[in-house]
Amino acid sequence: MSPERITKHPRIKINKLVFTLLLFSLLLVYSYPVFLTIITSLKNDAEVIQNPIGLPIQVSFGAFMRAWTTLHMGNLIMYSLLYSIGGTLLAILIAIGPAYALGRFNIPGGNIVFVILLTGLMVPQQTVVIPLYEVLTKLSLLNNPLGLIMVHGVYGTAFVLLVLRGFIGSVPKELEDAARMDGCNDFRLLSDIFLPLLMPGILVAGVLNIINIWRELFFALIFLNNDAINPVTVGLIKVTQSTYFSSWNLPAAAVLISQIPIVLIYIVAYQWIQQGMMAGAVKG
Amino acid sequence: MAEEINKKTFKTVTKFRRENNFIYQFGRHPFVFIIGIVIPLILYGIFIGYPLVSVFTLSFFKWDGISNHMPFVGLQNYISLVQDPAFIQSLVNNIKWAVLTIIFPVGLGLLLAAILHSGNIYFSNFFRAIIFLPTTMSLVGVGIMFALILNPSFGALNTLFNSSGLGFLAQEWLGNSKLALYTLIFVFSWGYIGLPMILFYAGMSGIPVELYEAASLEGSGAFQNLRFITIPLLSPVTTMTIMLTVINSLRAFDLVMVMTGGGPFGQTTVLGYFMYLETFGNYKFGYGAAISVVILLLSIVFAAVYIKNVASEAMHVS
Repeated sequence: MSPERITKHPRIKINKLVFTLLLFSLLLVYSYPVFLTIITSLKNDAEVIQNPIGLPIQVSFGAFMRAWTTLHMGNLIMYSLLYSIGGTLLAILIAIGPAYALGRFNIPGGNIVFVILLTGLMVPQQTVVIPLYEVLTKLSLLNNPLGLIMVHGVYGTAFVLLVLRGFIGSVPKELEDAARMDGCNDFRLLSDIFLPLLMPGILVAGVLNIINIWRELFFALIFLNNDAINPVTVGLIKVTQSTYFSSWNLPAAAVLISQIPIVLIYIVAYQWIQQGMMAGAVKG
Repeated sequence: MAEEINKKTFKTVTKFRRENNFIYQFGRHPFVFIIGIVIPLILYGIFIGYPLVSVFTLSFFKWDGISNHMPFVGLQNYISLVQDPAFIQSLVNNIKWAVLTIIFPVGLGLLLAAILHSGNIYFSNFFRAIIFLPTTMSLVGVGIMFALILNPSFGALNTLFNSSGLGFLAQEWLGNSKLALYTLIFVFSWGYIGLPMILFYAGMSGIPVELYEAASLEGSGAFQNLRFITIPLLSPVTTMTIMLTVINSLRAFDLVMVMTGGGPFGQTTVLGYFMYLETFGNYKFGYGAAISVVILLLSIVFAAVYIKNVASEAMHVS
């Protein structure tokens, strides 16, 4: 090692440390809204007004209890889970077919079909909502959990297809040929060979799609008009109308409760989420 | 001999033609066609195709959404639209929203990605995870969280200003008609920045390291690397991120609904929210459809570029 390198080496490390500390302090500012929400949710009513920005002097879980009961958070979360998981399963079910057909068969016009199916990625909800409202009314699916699941399923298909299309390309051709030699038909080939190998792709796409549906407000707001079946996003709107609470600790607690399932998914599936973002480079 | 070769070629050509024939393929792989083409296209037809076409037709009618009375009014909805100051206002607001979200979160996201990817930061993975986290939150939740900060009387920001002798900086962040839109865009950016950051980071990870090595042998510094290697090679990702951001601003709705309801005096109304108000608030479904058509026409170019890029990349990979 040259002497120059020895002297250079520690300087770079100090730089790196300084950069990291700088970025970390920016990160503290960036996280402040979340931090403030957490400390606000842990204060009692009086303290929220007397001490709005300090740490709670007396930690109280009263706001969580009240949010849970007055806003029926349990019910909201159950329905959010239903829409997220139901919609995502449907999207996967729809998308597997075209991913398999377009990725593995030389179908004339296949690329056009692929592009058509991708349009679902970019349709602003506001452009389709009125006719969709009519469609759901005609199918008696308005105000019906099944209706919202169908809509989320179809609109989620594009993203799942995009991710799966990438994954299906990585299944070795030899495996497919070998299975064909053993007399596998198209269905068996999909269910026994491709499906297990696509599992990572399904998880990657599924996790991101669940999060997307969990965050979604517009469709749920329009297609459901019944407090008993609302998801958390619609339920939370109520807390912005001040009649529902006397102090800010309740909305803070409600937001945190509504976020817990997503944070759990985020922690568990962070790797898949990153992979999905990179594979699909997608949807906001 | 020659005849034999000709025969062979003829056979291969017909075989090739046969295999590229739609009906022939369908007959050989009915299952694949049904689940791969027929079912998805039918579902898309009902839930996406029909609505996209039908919204055009509906925009030529007057309809309250309930009754059977639905008179044809021709272009009347569009004429009213261009004469409606509220529409012009939301269009202008929407343009500001799109431009500022491209400059602010997308630009900053690029910078963050460059910093995190430079190797000059410890725990880069941790930083990435935290910065991306807000993009998984619902904007309803984000709006409520920021209300705790921005509330004029007991929000954290004004409390901080007042208690530190900077009371003159305290503002009605969401009530001041000059400020409200920018406040909303700021809040939106907080919840959005993780997305461009992660997309740019992914793009940077795809650039071969050798390029940087060669450049540093030539004495190129970090800034020059960014300027002459990273940014040019990232341009596909940049295009896609910008398209995505424009579309996202055309469908902006949640934050407006939760934080301002479009106020004060329509200063924070964007097209997506204006459409909602007119349709489901004032029961002007035909008018709302006309606004939908405007949103559709505005988004179509950006969506097309985006989908073309995504599709060609996906087909290239597989």
